[in-house]
Amino acid sequence: MNTLFKAHNFTSYQCDSSRAFHIDFDHKLIKLSFCQLLAFREQIKNIDLETHFSGRNKHGIEILVLCNRSHIFIFDTFECIALKDLMEGTFAMLELNSLLTAGV
Amino acid sequence: MKDIVRQKLSINVEIMDMLNKQIEKEAVSSSAYLAMASWCDHNGLENSAAFFYEQSSEEREHMLKIFKFINDNGGTAYAPEVKSVMHEFNSLEEIFEAALDQEIEITQSIHSLVQKCRKLNDFTTEYFLQWFVNEQMEEEQLMRRVLELFDLMRDEPLKYIDERIPGLREE
Ligand SMILES: [Fe+2]
Ligand SMILES: [Fe+2]
Repeated sequence: MNTLFKAHNFTSYQCDSSRAFHIDFDHKLIKLSFCQLLAFREQIKNIDLETHFSGRNKHGIEILVLCNRSHIFIFDTFECIALKDLMEGTFAMLELNSLLTAGV
Repeated sequence: MKDIVRQKLSINVEIMDMLNKQIEKEAVSSSAYLAMASWCDHNGLENSAAFFYEQSSEEREHMLKIFKFINDNGGTAYAPEVKSVMHEFNSLEEIFEAALDQEIEITQSIHSLVQKCRKLNDFTTEYFLQWFVNEQMEEEQLMRRVLELFDLMRDEPLKYIDERIPGLREE
């Protein structure tokens, strides 16, 4: 497995042989197809951190359901920030890899 | 490392995000036209109402076209959320002006998408968008023709202008 990106306690990997991605949430490792990774990215993107600080999100947590509802996660503000970093970094690495592959 | 992303997705991820935003814009347009149709209906302007119903369904078709394109190419299209549609208007002329403004906005948004495709060498999407570039040109022209009608027939009853609306689409 190739490590793509690490942010706080979260790490993303790409597995060439299964053509899939993995995210290690420290206590749990989940496998995602590319489609599921896209869906996860969209959920992370849609988290409005502003609501955590303005008090509109009273408890400062986000509940995410992943991979056709096979996983459920609860993240606090700090983790949400890390996840945003993780997704940005992961997709930047994937983009870089695409450029390198196309260049060869 | 394999390029799995490329194996699964034939368009650029960033472009995919922009296309999803475009889906939202087409949906907003579709709703906005529906609101305009409703106003015309209430004000006895049958032909203008029919015009905007037709516009509304065209915008929905545009939305679906992009939706399908994203999914067919391995991406994920998201069903758009539409909020706060404007329902209050002063006059039919104001409505057509708003319609032209809306089309110009969409044109600009399509153009910046094409620009981005060029920058990222996404020729697949650029080719796909050519249809939209052309469509936008026609849409703008259509709205301008209607507004010209208002300039020409300023002293005529609104009813007469309404009667001329269906003919403009065929031109
Ligand atoms: Fe459109
Ligand atoms: Fe349009």
